[in-house]
Amino acid sequence: MKLKLAVYWTGSCGGCDVSFLELGPGLLDVLPQLEIVFWPALVDAKRGDLEKLPSRSIDVALVNGVIRTAENKEMVELLREKSKQLGAYGACAHLGGVPALANHAPGFTEVVFGPGFRPASPWPEAPEDAPPALLPEALPLDEVVPVDFVVPGCPPPAGLIARFFQAALSGEVQAGQVFAEDKALCEECPRTREERRLTRIVRPHEVVPDPKTCLLDQGMVCLGPVTRGGCQAACPQAGMPCTGCLGPTPKAGDPALAMLSALASLVRAGEEGEDAFPQENQILDSLVDPIGTLYKYAYAKYARPLQRLARRREEVRA
Amino acid sequence: MSGFEPRVVAFLCRWCAAAGADLAGTNRLQYPPHAIPIRVNCSGRVEPQWVVEALKAGADGVLIGGCHPGDCHYVVGNYKTRRRVYLLRKVLEEMGIEPERVRLEWVSATEGGRFAQVMAEFVAELKRLGPLHEPGGPG
Repeated sequence: MKLKLAVYWTGSCGGCDVSFLELGPGLLDVLPQLEIVFWPALVDAKRGDLEKLPSRSIDVALVNGVIRTAENKEMVELLREKSKQLGAYGACAHLGGVPALANHAPGFTEVVFGPGFRPASPWPEAPEDAPPALLPEALPLDEVVPVDFVVPGCPPPAGLIARFFQAALSGEVQAGQVFAEDKALCEECPRTREERRLTRIVRPHEVVPDPKTCLLDQGMVCLGPVTRGGCQAACPQAGMPCTGCLGPTPKAGDPALAMLSALASLVRAGEEGEDAFPQENQILDSLVDPIGTLYKYAYAKYARPLQRLARRREEVRA
Repeated sequence: MSGFEPRVVAFLCRWCAAAGADLAGTNRLQYPPHAIPIRVNCSGRVEPQWVVEALKAGADGVLIGGCHPGDCHYVVGNYKTRRRVYLLRKVLEEMGIEPERVRLEWVSATEGGRFAQVMAEFVAELKRLGPLHEPGGPG
Protein backbone atom coordinates (compact mmCIF):
# COMPACT_ATOMS: atom_id res chain seq x y z
CA MET A 1 0.00 0.00 0.00
CA LYS A 2 1.27 3.44 -0.88
CA LEU A 3 1.89 6.10 1.74
CA LYS A 4 -0.68 8.87 1.43
CA LEU A 5 1.35 12.07 1.65
CA ALA A 6 0.37 15.73 1.84
CA VAL A 7 2.83 18.63 1.69
CA TYR A 8 1.73 22.17 2.36
CA TRP A 9 3.45 25.53 2.58
CA THR A 10 2.40 28.41 4.77
CA GLY A 11 4.63 31.49 5.27
CA SER A 12 7.70 30.12 3.53
CA CYS A 13 10.21 30.85 0.80
CA GLY A 14 9.48 27.69 -1.17
CA GLY A 15 12.91 26.23 -0.54
CA CYS A 16 11.47 23.41 1.54
CA ASP A 17 9.26 22.23 -1.33
CA VAL A 18 12.32 22.15 -3.59
CA SER A 19 14.49 20.42 -0.98
CA PHE A 20 12.98 16.99 -1.75
CA LEU A 21 14.98 17.06 -4.99
CA GLU A 22 18.12 16.88 -2.84
CA LEU A 23 17.40 13.16 -2.56
CA GLY A 24 18.69 12.91 -6.15
CA PRO A 25 18.39 9.39 -7.59
CA GLY A 26 17.05 8.30 -4.19
CA LEU A 27 13.85 10.10 -5.12
CA LEU A 28 13.22 7.40 -7.75
CA ASP A 29 12.99 4.80 -4.97
CA VAL A 30 10.71 6.94 -2.82
CA LEU A 31 8.25 8.31 -5.38
CA PRO A 32 6.65 4.99 -6.46
CA GLN A 33 5.81 4.31 -2.82
CA LEU A 34 3.95 7.58 -2.40
CA GLU A 35 0.44 8.64 -3.21
CA ILE A 36 0.48 12.41 -3.24
CA VAL A 37 -2.97 13.45 -2.13
CA PHE A 38 -2.32 17.16 -1.65
CA TRP A 39 0.77 19.21 -2.55
CA PRO A 40 -0.07 22.61 -4.04
CA ALA A 41 3.52 23.33 -5.13
CA LEU A 42 3.55 20.15 -7.18
CA VAL A 43 0.07 19.11 -8.27
CA ASP A 44 -3.09 21.12 -8.73
CA ALA A 45 -5.45 20.75 -5.81
CA LYS A 46 -7.61 23.27 -4.03
CA ARG A 47 -8.73 23.66 -0.49
CA GLY A 48 -12.09 22.16 -1.50
CA ASP A 49 -10.37 18.93 -2.54
CA LEU A 50 -8.78 18.68 0.88
CA GLU A 51 -12.09 19.39 2.60
CA LYS A 52 -13.72 16.48 0.74
CA LEU A 53 -11.20 13.94 2.11
CA PRO A 54 -12.38 11.80 5.02
CA SER A 55 -10.98 12.58 8.44
CA ARG A 56 -7.53 11.01 9.14
CA SER A 57 -7.29 9.70 5.59
CA ILE A 58 -3.84 11.21 4.95
CA ASP A 59 -1.05 9.07 6.43
CA VAL A 60 1.54 11.82 6.79
CA ALA A 61 1.27 15.57 6.25
CA LEU A 62 4.34 17.82 6.12
CA VAL A 63 3.92 21.53 6.71
CA ASN A 64 6.69 23.97 5.87
CA GLY A 65 6.58 27.67 6.68
CA VAL A 66 5.63 29.90 9.56
CA ILE A 67 1.99 30.55 10.53
CA ARG A 68 1.50 34.13 9.46
CA THR A 69 -2.10 34.61 8.24
CA ALA A 70 -5.59 33.45 9.21
CA GLU A 71 -5.57 31.30 6.06
CA ASN A 72 -2.34 29.59 7.16
CA LYS A 73 -3.99 28.76 10.44
CA GLU A 74 -7.19 27.42 8.88
CA MET A 75 -5.26 25.29 6.40
CA VAL A 76 -3.04 23.61 8.98
CA GLU A 77 -6.05 22.98 11.20
CA LEU A 78 -7.75 21.33 8.24
CA LEU A 79 -4.63 19.27 7.49
CA ARG A 80 -4.39 18.25 11.12
CA GLU A 81 -7.94 16.94 11.02
CA LYS A 82 -7.37 15.01 7.78
CA SER A 83 -4.02 13.48 8.77
CA LYS A 84 -2.91 10.63 10.99
CA GLN A 85 0.50 12.23 11.52
CA LEU A 86 1.52 15.82 10.95
CA GLY A 87 5.09 17.01 10.93
CA ALA A 88 6.88 20.35 10.96
CA TYR A 89 9.18 20.37 7.94
CA GLY A 90 11.96 22.94 7.96
CA ALA A 91 13.05 25.62 10.41
CA CYS A 92 10.04 27.95 9.93
CA ALA A 93 7.42 25.38 10.90
CA HIS A 94 9.74 24.01 13.59
CA LEU A 95 10.95 27.20 15.29
CA GLY A 96 9.48 30.16 13.43
CA GLY A 97 12.52 30.54 11.21
CA VAL A 98 13.84 33.68 9.57
CA PRO A 99 10.36 35.14 8.76
CA ALA A 100 9.51 35.10 12.47
CA LEU A 101 12.29 37.61 13.16
CA ALA A 102 9.56 40.01 12.01
CA ASN A 103 8.13 39.53 15.51
CA HIS A 104 11.09 41.59 16.67
CA ALA A 105 9.98 44.50 14.48
CA PRO A 106 6.27 45.09 15.15
CA GLY A 107 4.86 47.61 12.71
CA PHE A 108 7.28 46.49 10.00
CA THR A 109 4.50 46.53 7.39
CA GLU A 110 4.49 50.33 7.59
CA VAL A 111 8.23 50.33 6.91
CA VAL A 112 8.01 47.83 4.06
CA PHE A 113 4.82 49.01 2.35
CA GLY A 114 4.87 52.67 3.37
CA PRO A 115 2.63 54.71 5.64
CA GLY A 116 -1.10 54.13 5.43
CA PHE A 117 -0.67 50.49 4.39
CA ARG A 118 -3.95 48.60 4.42
CA PRO A 119 -4.07 44.83 3.88
CA ALA A 120 -6.63 43.21 1.57
CA SER A 121 -10.09 42.62 3.04
CA PRO A 122 -10.72 39.03 4.05
CA TRP A 123 -12.86 36.57 2.06
CA PRO A 124 -15.67 36.78 0.91
CA GLU A 125 -14.86 40.41 -0.05
CA ALA A 126 -13.71 40.90 -3.63
CA PRO A 127 -9.99 40.17 -4.20
CA GLU A 128 -7.68 43.18 -3.96
CA ASP A 129 -4.17 43.95 -5.09
CA ALA A 130 -2.69 43.84 -1.57
CA PRO A 131 -1.22 41.21 0.71
CA PRO A 132 -3.52 39.62 3.30
CA ALA A 133 -3.68 40.82 6.89
CA LEU A 134 -1.03 39.34 9.15
CA LEU A 135 -1.61 37.65 12.48
CA PRO A 136 -0.19 39.73 15.37
CA GLU A 137 2.73 37.29 15.63
CA ALA A 138 4.40 34.80 13.32
CA LEU A 139 4.04 31.41 15.00
CA PRO A 140 5.76 28.05 14.77
CA LEU A 141 3.43 25.22 13.76
CA ASP A 142 3.14 23.63 17.20
CA GLU A 143 1.66 26.84 18.61
CA VAL A 144 -1.36 26.28 16.36
CA VAL A 145 -1.86 22.51 16.07
CA PRO A 146 -0.32 19.48 17.80
CA VAL A 147 2.79 18.37 15.89
CA ASP A 148 3.84 14.70 15.84
CA PHE A 149 7.38 14.98 14.52
CA VAL A 150 9.96 17.40 13.11
CA VAL A 151 12.17 17.27 10.03
CA PRO A 152 14.39 20.27 10.85
CA GLY A 153 16.68 22.42 8.73
CA CYS A 154 16.71 25.41 6.42
CA PRO A 155 15.93 23.53 4.29
CA PRO A 156 16.21 20.00 5.71
CA PRO A 157 19.40 18.37 4.41
CA ALA A 158 19.15 15.33 2.12
CA GLY A 159 20.34 12.86 4.74
CA LEU A 160 17.58 13.83 7.15
CA ILE A 161 14.90 13.80 4.44
CA ALA A 162 16.01 10.28 3.53
CA ARG A 163 15.89 9.27 7.18
CA PHE A 164 12.36 10.63 7.44
CA PHE A 165 11.11 8.78 4.36
CA GLN A 166 12.72 5.57 5.55
CA ALA A 167 10.78 5.81 8.81
CA ALA A 168 7.54 7.04 7.22
CA LEU A 169 7.47 4.35 4.53
CA SER A 170 7.87 1.63 7.14
CA GLY A 171 5.29 3.30 9.41
CA GLU A 172 7.84 3.87 12.15
CA VAL A 173 7.66 7.60 12.81
CA GLN A 174 7.65 8.00 16.59
CA ALA A 175 5.59 10.63 18.39
CA GLY A 176 7.84 13.59 19.17
CA GLN A 177 10.61 12.35 16.92
CA VAL A 178 13.07 14.93 15.61
CA PHE A 179 14.88 13.73 12.52
CA ALA A 180 18.33 14.99 13.56
CA GLU A 181 20.96 14.12 16.16
CA ASP A 182 20.57 14.89 19.85
CA LYS A 183 24.29 15.60 19.97
CA ALA A 184 25.75 18.95 18.98
CA LEU A 185 26.88 19.74 15.49
CA CYS A 186 30.49 20.10 16.73
CA GLU A 187 30.58 16.31 17.19
CA GLU A 188 30.44 15.81 13.43
CA CYS A 189 32.48 18.87 12.45
CA PRO A 190 35.90 17.97 11.03
CA ARG A 191 37.47 21.25 12.15
CA THR A 192 39.87 21.10 15.09
CA ARG A 193 39.36 23.01 18.27
CA GLU A 194 42.45 24.31 20.08
CA GLU A 195 42.30 27.79 21.49
CA ARG A 196 39.12 27.66 23.58
CA ARG A 197 39.23 31.42 23.75
CA LEU A 198 37.89 34.24 21.67
CA THR A 199 40.11 37.29 21.20
CA ARG A 200 37.83 38.92 18.64
CA ILE A 201 34.37 38.50 17.13
CA VAL A 202 34.12 38.82 13.36
CA ARG A 203 31.42 38.40 10.72
CA PRO A 204 31.86 35.93 7.85
CA HIS A 205 32.59 38.59 5.22
CA GLU A 206 35.43 40.06 7.27
CA VAL A 207 37.78 37.08 7.15
CA VAL A 208 38.93 34.22 4.99
CA PRO A 209 38.81 31.42 7.54
CA ASP A 210 41.57 28.88 7.97
CA PRO A 211 40.20 25.63 6.49
CA LYS A 212 41.21 23.36 9.37
CA THR A 213 40.58 25.12 12.68
CA CYS A 214 37.33 25.70 14.52
CA LEU A 215 35.45 28.76 13.28
CA LEU A 216 34.69 29.85 16.85
CA ASP A 217 38.42 29.83 17.56
CA GLN A 218 38.77 32.17 14.59
CA GLY A 219 36.25 34.59 16.04
CA MET A 220 33.17 33.62 14.05
CA VAL A 221 29.90 33.21 15.91
CA CYS A 222 29.30 29.55 15.06
CA LEU A 223 26.21 28.09 16.73
CA GLY A 224 27.54 24.54 16.42
CA PRO A 225 27.89 23.99 20.19
CA VAL A 226 24.16 24.53 20.81
CA THR A 227 22.74 23.14 17.55
CA ARG A 228 21.71 19.60 16.68
CA GLY A 229 23.97 17.61 14.39
CA GLY A 230 22.60 15.83 11.34
CA CYS A 231 23.90 17.90 8.43
CA GLN A 232 27.53 16.70 8.71
CA ALA A 233 28.38 20.30 9.63
CA ALA A 234 27.69 21.39 6.05
CA CYS A 235 28.14 25.13 6.65
CA PRO A 236 31.33 24.97 8.76
CA GLN A 237 32.80 22.58 6.18
CA ALA A 238 32.19 25.27 3.57
CA GLY A 239 33.79 27.96 5.74
CA MET A 240 30.55 29.47 7.01
CA PRO A 241 29.58 29.44 10.69
CA CYS A 242 26.55 27.39 11.75
CA THR A 243 23.50 29.61 12.15
CA GLY A 244 21.44 27.03 14.01
CA CYS A 245 18.85 25.89 11.44
CA LEU A 246 18.50 22.36 12.84
CA GLY A 247 17.38 23.85 16.15
CA PRO A 248 18.90 23.54 19.62
CA THR A 249 20.03 20.26 21.12
CA PRO A 250 17.67 18.94 23.82
CA LYS A 251 20.20 20.03 26.44
CA ALA A 252 20.77 23.57 25.12
CA GLY A 253 17.32 24.98 25.90
CA ASP A 254 17.07 28.51 24.53
CA PRO A 255 19.81 28.41 21.88
CA ALA A 256 20.49 32.13 21.92
CA LEU A 257 21.01 32.32 25.67
CA ALA A 258 23.06 29.12 25.66
CA MET A 259 25.29 30.51 22.91
CA LEU A 260 25.50 33.90 24.62
CA SER A 261 26.76 32.10 27.70
CA ALA A 262 29.34 30.13 25.72
CA LEU A 263 30.54 33.17 23.78
CA ALA A 264 30.90 35.34 26.85
CA SER A 265 32.86 32.73 28.75
CA LEU A 266 35.30 32.29 25.83
CA VAL A 267 36.06 35.99 25.36
CA ARG A 268 39.57 36.99 26.45
CA ALA A 269 41.50 40.23 26.22
CA GLY A 270 44.83 39.07 27.58
CA GLU A 271 45.11 38.09 31.25
CA GLU A 272 41.68 37.97 32.93
CA GLY A 273 41.11 40.58 35.60
CA GLU A 274 39.73 44.00 36.30
CA ASP A 275 42.20 45.71 33.95
CA ALA A 276 40.92 43.64 31.03
CA PHE A 277 37.22 44.56 31.53
CA PRO A 278 37.13 47.50 29.07
CA GLN A 279 38.82 45.51 26.32
CA GLU A 280 36.61 42.48 26.97
CA ASN A 281 33.60 44.76 26.61
CA GLN A 282 34.96 46.02 23.30
CA ILE A 283 35.17 42.46 21.99
CA LEU A 284 31.63 41.71 23.21
CA ASP A 285 30.41 44.96 21.61
CA SER A 286 31.69 43.75 18.25
CA LEU A 287 28.94 41.11 18.21
CA VAL A 288 26.74 42.86 15.65
CA ASP A 289 22.97 42.21 15.85
CA PRO A 290 22.95 39.71 18.72
CA ILE A 291 19.23 38.94 18.33
CA GLY A 292 19.41 38.29 14.59
CA THR A 293 22.59 36.27 14.98
CA LEU A 294 21.75 34.16 18.02
CA TYR A 295 17.99 33.81 17.44
CA LYS A 296 18.16 33.58 13.65
CA TYR A 297 15.65 30.71 13.44
CA ALA A 298 14.46 30.29 17.02
CA TYR A 299 13.08 33.73 17.86
CA ALA A 300 9.39 32.79 17.65
CA LYS A 301 9.87 29.61 19.63
CA TYR A 302 12.02 30.95 22.47
CA ALA A 303 11.85 34.75 22.69
CA ARG A 304 8.08 35.23 22.72
CA PRO A 305 7.50 35.28 26.50
CA LEU A 306 10.16 37.96 27.00
CA GLN A 307 8.94 39.84 24.00
CA ARG A 308 5.42 39.93 25.46
CA LEU A 309 6.81 41.38 28.70
CA ALA A 310 8.69 43.97 26.67
CA ARG A 311 5.54 44.93 24.75
CA ARG A 312 3.68 45.42 27.98
CA ARG A 313 6.48 47.60 29.33
CA GLU A 314 6.30 49.66 26.18
CA GLU A 315 2.55 50.18 26.64
CA VAL A 316 3.03 51.12 30.30
CA ARG A 317 5.75 53.63 29.43
CA ALA A 318 3.69 55.17 26.60
CA MET B 1 4.09 53.56 41.33
CA SER B 2 2.52 53.46 44.75
CA GLY B 3 2.17 50.16 46.57
CA PHE B 4 4.39 48.27 44.14
CA GLU B 5 6.65 45.83 45.95
CA PRO B 6 9.09 44.34 43.44
CA ARG B 7 10.00 40.68 43.46
CA VAL B 8 13.70 39.96 43.25
CA VAL B 9 15.53 36.72 42.66
CA ALA B 10 19.09 36.91 44.01
CA PHE B 11 21.69 34.37 42.89
CA LEU B 12 24.41 34.60 45.51
CA CYS B 13 27.78 32.90 45.40
CA ARG B 14 28.32 30.85 48.55
CA TRP B 15 31.86 32.08 49.21
CA CYS B 16 31.23 35.81 49.08
CA ALA B 17 27.80 37.31 48.43
CA ALA B 18 25.76 34.66 50.28
CA ALA B 19 28.16 34.90 53.22
CA GLY B 20 27.80 38.68 53.06
CA ALA B 21 24.01 38.29 53.13
CA ASP B 22 24.33 36.01 56.17
CA LEU B 23 26.48 38.60 57.86
CA ALA B 24 23.89 41.29 57.17
CA GLY B 25 21.42 39.03 58.95
CA THR B 26 23.58 38.18 61.95
CA ASN B 27 24.41 41.87 62.32
CA ARG B 28 20.65 42.55 62.29
CA LEU B 29 20.99 45.10 59.53
CA GLN B 30 17.70 46.35 58.14
CA TYR B 31 17.25 46.00 54.40
CA PRO B 32 14.31 45.46 52.02
CA PRO B 33 12.96 41.90 52.24
CA HIS B 34 12.06 41.63 48.55
CA ALA B 35 14.62 39.06 47.43
CA ILE B 36 14.32 35.31 47.17
CA PRO B 37 17.95 34.29 47.67
CA ILE B 38 19.30 31.30 45.79
CA ARG B 39 22.74 30.20 46.89
CA VAL B 40 25.00 28.93 44.10
CA ASN B 41 28.53 27.62 44.39
CA CYS B 42 29.89 30.33 42.12
CA SER B 43 28.41 33.32 40.32
CA GLY B 44 30.04 31.78 37.24
CA ARG B 45 27.52 28.95 37.49
CA VAL B 46 24.59 31.31 36.88
CA GLU B 47 23.27 30.61 33.40
CA PRO B 48 21.71 33.48 31.44
CA GLN B 49 18.76 31.09 30.99
CA TRP B 50 18.18 31.06 34.76
CA VAL B 51 18.05 34.84 34.83
CA VAL B 52 15.57 34.97 31.97
CA GLU B 53 13.57 32.13 33.53
CA ALA B 54 13.28 34.14 36.75
CA LEU B 55 12.04 37.19 34.82
CA LYS B 56 9.54 35.09 32.89
CA ALA B 57 8.33 33.38 36.06
CA GLY B 58 7.41 36.61 37.80
CA ALA B 59 10.54 38.38 39.05
CA ASP B 60 10.82 42.12 38.43
CA GLY B 61 14.58 42.02 38.77
CA VAL B 62 17.46 39.59 39.18
CA LEU B 63 20.51 40.24 41.33
CA ILE B 64 23.69 38.26 40.86
CA GLY B 65 26.13 38.55 43.71
CA GLY B 66 29.71 37.38 43.27
CA CYS B 67 33.17 37.86 44.71
CA HIS B 68 35.22 40.98 44.06
CA PRO B 69 37.63 40.73 41.11
CA GLY B 70 40.61 38.68 42.21
CA ASP B 71 38.69 36.97 45.02
CA CYS B 72 36.81 34.22 43.16
CA HIS B 73 37.13 30.89 44.94
CA TYR B 74 37.33 29.28 41.49
CA VAL B 75 39.72 32.00 40.27
CA VAL B 76 37.80 33.20 37.18
CA GLY B 77 34.09 32.41 37.72
CA ASN B 78 33.17 36.00 38.46
CA TYR B 79 34.92 37.18 35.27
CA LYS B 80 32.84 34.76 33.23
CA THR B 81 29.62 35.92 34.83
CA ARG B 82 30.59 39.57 34.32
CA ARG B 83 30.93 39.01 30.57
CA ARG B 84 27.71 37.01 30.44
CA VAL B 85 25.73 39.65 32.28
CA TYR B 86 27.23 42.35 30.05
CA LEU B 87 26.00 40.54 26.93
CA LEU B 88 22.68 39.47 28.45
CA ARG B 89 21.87 43.05 29.39
CA LYS B 90 22.52 44.12 25.81
CA VAL B 91 20.16 41.43 24.52
CA LEU B 92 17.47 42.35 27.06
CA GLU B 93 17.77 46.01 26.11
CA GLU B 94 17.36 45.16 22.45
CA MET B 95 14.29 43.11 23.33
CA GLY B 96 12.82 46.18 25.05
CA ILE B 97 13.37 45.13 28.68
CA GLU B 98 15.25 47.55 30.92
CA PRO B 99 18.78 46.16 31.41
CA GLU B 100 18.76 47.64 34.92
CA ARG B 101 16.52 44.74 35.93
CA VAL B 102 19.57 42.50 35.86
CA ARG B 103 22.26 43.64 38.26
CA LEU B 104 25.67 42.20 39.00
CA GLU B 105 27.33 43.22 42.25
CA TRP B 106 30.51 42.22 44.02
CA VAL B 107 29.94 41.56 47.73
CA SER B 108 32.58 39.97 49.93
CA ALA B 109 31.91 37.75 52.94
CA THR B 110 32.76 40.63 55.29
CA GLU B 111 30.51 43.16 53.56
CA GLY B 112 27.17 42.67 55.30
CA GLY B 113 26.60 46.40 55.17
CA ARG B 114 27.30 46.50 51.48
CA PHE B 115 24.83 43.68 50.84
CA ALA B 116 22.12 45.61 52.68
CA GLN B 117 22.97 48.71 50.70
CA VAL B 118 22.91 46.85 47.36
CA MET B 119 19.49 45.40 48.16
CA ALA B 120 18.14 48.81 49.14
CA GLU B 121 19.48 50.39 45.96
CA PHE B 122 18.22 47.63 43.71
CA VAL B 123 14.73 47.58 45.21
CA ALA B 124 14.55 51.40 44.94
CA GLU B 125 15.63 51.14 41.29
CA LEU B 126 12.98 48.48 40.55
CA LYS B 127 10.31 50.57 42.26
CA ARG B 128 11.30 53.42 39.98
CA LEU B 129 11.13 51.15 36.90
CA GLY B 130 7.76 49.70 37.88
CA PRO B 131 6.43 46.14 37.61
CA LEU B 132 7.60 43.92 34.75
CA HIS B 133 4.44 41.85 34.87
CA GLU B 134 0.74 42.59 34.71
CA PRO B 135 -1.12 42.61 37.99
CA GLY B 136 -2.03 39.02 38.76
CA GLY B 137 0.76 37.78 36.47
CA PRO B 138 3.05 34.82 37.19
CA GLY B 139 4.76 34.30 40.51
